[in-house]
Amino acid sequence: MNTIGISVNGHAVTASVEPRTHLADFLRDHLNLTGTHLGCEHGVCGSCTLLLDDAPARSCITLAAACDRARVTTIEGLDDDEIAGELRAAFTREHALQCGYCTPGMIVSARDLVLRLDDADERAIRVGLSGNLCRCTGYVGIVRAVRSVIDDRRRRGIAPLPGAAREQLGPVGSTSSAGDGGPPAARPSARAGIEQRPAVTIPDFVPDRILEDHFTLASRPEEVFAMLGDVARVAACLPGVALTGNPTPKHVEGVIRVRLGPISTGFRGAARIERDPATMSGRIVGMGTDHHIRSSTRGEVRYRLLPVDAGTATRVEISVGYSMQGMLAQIAREGLVRGLAARLTAEFARNLERELSGAATGGPTRPAASIDGVALVFDRLRMFVREIFRRT
Amino acid sequence: MSEVERLSSSSTPDQGVGARLPRKEDDRFMRGRGQYVADIRLPGLRDVAFVRSPLAHGRIKAIHVPERYSGLVFTAADLFGVKPIRAVSGLPGFKISEQPVLATGKVRHVGELVAMCAAPTRAEAEDIAASVTLDLEPLPAVYDMRRAREAGSALVHDHWGDNVFLESVFEVDITPALDAPIKVTREISTARQCMSPLEGRGVVATFDHRLDQLTLYTGAQMPHIVRNGLSDCLGIEQGRIRIISPDIGGGFGHKGILLPEEVCLSWLALEKGLTVRWIEDRYEHLSASANCREHYYNITVYADRDGRLRGIDCEATVDSGAYSSYPFSACLEAAQVASILPGPYRMPAYRCRTFSAATNKCPILPYRGVARTGVCFALEIMLDAVAAEAGLEPAEVRLRNLVGPEEMPFDNITKKHFDSGNYPEAMRRALAAIDIAAVRERQRRKEPDGRLIGVGLSVYCEQAAHGTSVYAGWGIPMVPGHEQATARMTPDGGLEIRVGVHSHGQGLETTLAQVAHEILGIDTAKVRVVHGDTALTPYSTGTWGSRSMVMAGGAVGTACEAIAGRAKHIGAKLLQLDPASVSLRDGRVCGPNSSIGLAEIAHTWYRRPHELPPDVNPGGLEATSGYKPQRDSGTFSYAVHAVIVAVDPDLGDIELLDYVIVEDGGVLVNPMIVDGQIYGGLAQGIGTALYEEMPFDAEGQPLATTLADYLLPGPTEIPEPRLDHMQTASPYTMFGVKGIGEGGAIAPPAAITNAVNDALRPLGVELLRSPISARRIVEAILAAREAEGPAA
Amino acid sequence: MKAAAFAYERPSDLKAALALMAGARGSTRIIAGGQSLGPMLNLRLVRPELLVDIAGLAELKQVDRGGDELVIGACVTHADIEDGRIPDVTRGAMRRVAASIAYRAVRNRGTIGGSLSHADPAADWVCALPALGAKIRLRSTRGLRELAIEDFITGALESALQEAEIVEAVRVPVMRPAARWGYVKACRKPGEFAHAIAAVLIDPESTGARVVVGAIAAPPIVLHDAAPLFGGRVTADFHRQFDARIADAMLAKAGVTNAADRHIHVAVLRRAIAEAAA
Repeated sequence: MNTIGISVNGHAVTASVEPRTHLADFLRDHLNLTGTHLGCEHGVCGSCTLLLDDAPARSCITLAAACDRARVTTIEGLDDDEIAGELRAAFTREHALQCGYCTPGMIVSARDLVLRLDDADERAIRVGLSGNLCRCTGYVGIVRAVRSVIDDRRRRGIAPLPGAAREQLGPVGSTSSAGDGGPPAARPSARAGIEQRPAVTIPDFVPDRILEDHFTLASRPEEVFAMLGDVARVAACLPGVALTGNPTPKHVEGVIRVRLGPISTGFRGAARIERDPATMSGRIVGMGTDHHIRSSTRGEVRYRLLPVDAGTATRVEISVGYSMQGMLAQIAREGLVRGLAARLTAEFARNLERELSGAATGGPTRPAASIDGVALVFDRLRMFVREIFRRT
Repeated sequence: MSEVERLSSSSTPDQGVGARLPRKEDDRFMRGRGQYVADIRLPGLRDVAFVRSPLAHGRIKAIHVPERYSGLVFTAADLFGVKPIRAVSGLPGFKISEQPVLATGKVRHVGELVAMCAAPTRAEAEDIAASVTLDLEPLPAVYDMRRAREAGSALVHDHWGDNVFLESVFEVDITPALDAPIKVTREISTARQCMSPLEGRGVVATFDHRLDQLTLYTGAQMPHIVRNGLSDCLGIEQGRIRIISPDIGGGFGHKGILLPEEVCLSWLALEKGLTVRWIEDRYEHLSASANCREHYYNITVYADRDGRLRGIDCEATVDSGAYSSYPFSACLEAAQVASILPGPYRMPAYRCRTFSAATNKCPILPYRGVARTGVCFALEIMLDAVAAEAGLEPAEVRLRNLVGPEEMPFDNITKKHFDSGNYPEAMRRALAAIDIAAVRERQRRKEPDGRLIGVGLSVYCEQAAHGTSVYAGWGIPMVPGHEQATARMTPDGGLEIRVGVHSHGQGLETTLAQVAHEILGIDTAKVRVVHGDTALTPYSTGTWGSRSMVMAGGAVGTACEAIAGRAKHIGAKLLQLDPASVSLRDGRVCGPNSSIGLAEIAHTWYRRPHELPPDVNPGGLEATSGYKPQRDSGTFSYAVHAVIVAVDPDLGDIELLDYVIVEDGGVLVNPMIVDGQIYGGLAQGIGTALYEEMPFDAEGQPLATTLADYLLPGPTEIPEPRLDHMQTASPYTMFGVKGIGEGGAIAPPAAITNAVNDALRPLGVELLRSPISARRIVEAILAAREAEGPAA
Repeated sequence: MKAAAFAYERPSDLKAALALMAGARGSTRIIAGGQSLGPMLNLRLVRPELLVDIAGLAELKQVDRGGDELVIGACVTHADIEDGRIPDVTRGAMRRVAASIAYRAVRNRGTIGGSLSHADPAADWVCALPALGAKIRLRSTRGLRELAIEDFITGALESALQEAEIVEAVRVPVMRPAARWGYVKACRKPGEFAHAIAAVLIDPESTGARVVVGAIAAPPIVLHDAAPLFGGRVTADFHRQFDARIADAMLAKAGVTNAADRHIHVAVLRRAIAEAAA
């Protein structure tokens, strides 16, 4: 819990909040100011827009704890505001609202435009309101209402205020003097432990996306094939993979950690290994789940060995296929994931080539820092924390 | 244009039927004092978060709940005696799906409920939910409705043997059309959408021990229907359930189905004694809530060289998702397609076969316009294709086939009964307003900025307020009968109106007051409309199908007429006049030389009953009346949309340069509110046309799960259209009103696509799938260039 | 959805913030305006153990106008730049870029340093600043280092930011009077992730042409010498010399395999060049 002192609609409020509580939830649940609505909680729809230090801000992606010493004005605090009053009259006259859900955020943003815009230029108003979605009105009445209020005020000789007369730099709501965050007391661990589950059978699947790579080794195919039978060595070449438990020639368990920007994943699961000496080919099919981001992945690594130079050397062809389910599949932009997978595949091929050609430095290949821009952080520290947590 | 048929004259037309009256409900919303489900605060309230399926299709092998949370997490195994949601259609061949409120055996779409967790805050409930692990065996996802129909497809419901909820056929011998000189065939499809009202669903459940009653606050367009469904699932009598539907942040159909979440929270309140709430967040809404609009058409139109239609042959498939949702069922869209495809066009031959396909996606429900948006898209694109083939202006083809005013009322080829209207006149007005000739000239001149100009038309009709006779045939769990309203004068001369429909943006608190004012002359400021509470309102199937003004408006009018009659009787006696000699004007009962106000009559009835005449009607100044239009086959409002677009062939961007709507919604109770419905509908139609799409991958994963990916049109995407109203009264309804709530959303995808196709025809591009996103346009242009060869 | 639990610190000055970062165990993230991180926290895609809020640090809200450059503190917001609350050395270029970021309510809290740290390949500053020749200043208890923006952005959502390191400031060189600027992005609506971005700074008299193509699934393509796009030499009529085929080949080489994607990127680049020429 953090203690904040905050001015809400002119009243000083001191409250204790969980750091993760966003400003909108704080106002709604702690202060019962329910005029601030939540429409998306990712900063797009604008329903939660309110005034923070007199400037519009998204209360769904602003932490209440970050608003210590800030001045918050919600729609309820605009009852007697002159511009809001003019906007209300214009909104009802122009039928600028239907269900009313977007209206508080819309009025807050409109009020800001009334303050700042030089004149009632329709395009500028529409662009200025583009961060507030309305699903009912088609914006016709809203735009008309805002135009009429701006027109009327400019006619009355009320000049625009560029930047709404803000002088301070930095995020609205962040006081420049900074707060004392309180003594840096011991922080409780925020994390729940991982529930470990026994491995299950690995069903077959056909990957959505397949990436291919190849390289040539100066060893005979039979030797390479034998080396590929060493599960631990192959796994060590897969970026971010760590084995858990003892692998058998046909079954392996582990975790693959991949970082996509600020998103750290840890897919825990198991893989089935198939090898066919007749065709000098093999396949590893695995599935893993990251419960924290409610996502799972299925992957397949295939390899095929072809003799070259009359059998004295080997062309290793690999393909990596994968599919994703759950939130990560739904959220991550396809291009980002594809780019990541391509880099991982290339890295795997490079590692494998190094490992099999005997050039590897002692110990397993472990890309520790940045690989082609993608940091594959093998987060031993976090594992350690989790281990402790599980014991307690 | 017809005049309003006044049932009683009011000298304050600024408040009665036809007045542009500002809305009574606005003030609370503009001050942040609306009360939506999420705003309700009850003592001991706990938040619920759900554990949902991450897979589109899978077998549940185990659900692991950490020991420290046992007792806070509930799964299907706990819900002893709770029945699955069943929405069965009576149409022959319909296959029944059972939607468990918490999944049992299999999960059939991403986001399906598997377990629920209660905690003091939503964040903590989500912490618990995150600790629950699901052991699911993945099964192949049925993600494409056409592949779903193929033999060998994985099965959503194993015992069905296929993935078809219902197949239906409508045929009026197609063979005479087959030798037509023009035969045009296309495959046309529309994307899956998510309705996305700005407020999602939400439920608060508590148990009232004094009343021995479950009180469920839920954002529901149809509170009485929710009570029916809950009673069925929970197995408790209806009297023990009270549904309160407070302010709703947008409905559009999305709040018209019974939710498994509603059943779950009711169970927690009933069985566990908890006061609980669940507020749908945007991620849940986009990934796990009901969808709509995913249609595929294989359609052939036959015509003569002069553009006269000879017949239509169509096969349509609608992706209905995994379950049949309550009460509209999984087949509402597809089965409607067959009956509404011909619309207001005359044709001698017709055949349409439809399939409601089951897939591993969320169920569907009727979204504003329901099947009509897809049907209009398919048919109107085809009419442009016919025009291109015949070398005619698209408008010509339409004028040649639209039903004429002299044919009204008109039964079309599928026996839809058109009550009134003048479609060719609407078309002529639209053509004059958009100035087709000027567009053609501009196209010849070409644009200095390299963009391509096009003009597009579409015509739709909207059957609204269709009643008993229509719905009895569907055999779904809900058939509308007489609509009832209660009107009650208060002792101080005010009026309370109680209706079972629900207002969530349509402004019924204002328009129903206008109806009451029209009859009784009471100032609308003194008329209160009570809705959204099963304990306080008459039974109603609720607000859907653009029915509320026609049905509840008629019921309010009828109830007010009953009060008017009784008040006149009391007033006449108090004035010592013959009741036959008095009339009701401006809220006063008037005789030849004297008058008495309704407020005084009310005061007498309630406070001074000893002054009442002995033969007074004991029903007094409160009346509950039922209403049905003279014919319940529905009102037909309609419009012509005409749009000019500029297409940027490099980036695929589309600018809507001009948008004209000529609309005929019968007599308008409040033209300002009707305009608002059309503007809002247009915005959603533009969303369908250009932006909104819920794509799925081959695993059945939804891929637009935030508003950053699921694009809702904003102020810069929606033009201000030019509106022209015709007001052809319906011969069957009180005041001649027609339902108009959905129409604005029906025509835009067709009109805009036709305009874009008109613009891109020189490049050899024809777009047949909505949304016509910038990306699809660029791809189509590149493909057309490729097809032309490497010349340029 | 609501964020997973985390601890939260609001250090009083930069030194304290750096010390806090250096001493932190487990996953720690810096938050300033929170406009990129906020949604990810709410969706539980990011679950830090500790958030260090630097939005209040006065040192990071300073702006210094040096001889030939402007040093902008990391916590200066897009709205600060849009409104002209800080000096402009780019002849309006930065103000226009700032005004086109997301929405006003987001710009009021979103910061230039935060946007760069997030390293979204479709972000405006990530694409515009390399074209302007800007550098980024990174601070940790180990000291100060400075990188060109294009060296700082190492991948999609990946930057060169090291453990316990904070973006301190951005250094933007003064734009020469003869320089021509063009900035165009393809979005279907304001605030949407851009599908293509092009930024060009062309100075036929001296430095030649600097071109950035962004919003690909990788760091932006930064051409310090874009002469090959103009037939090998940047002349006064450069926009007429633009060779779309070279641009297309460049994109293909950068891994943009889809033809429609390349077509859109090239069209956007052509427009940015035309804007610069206008």
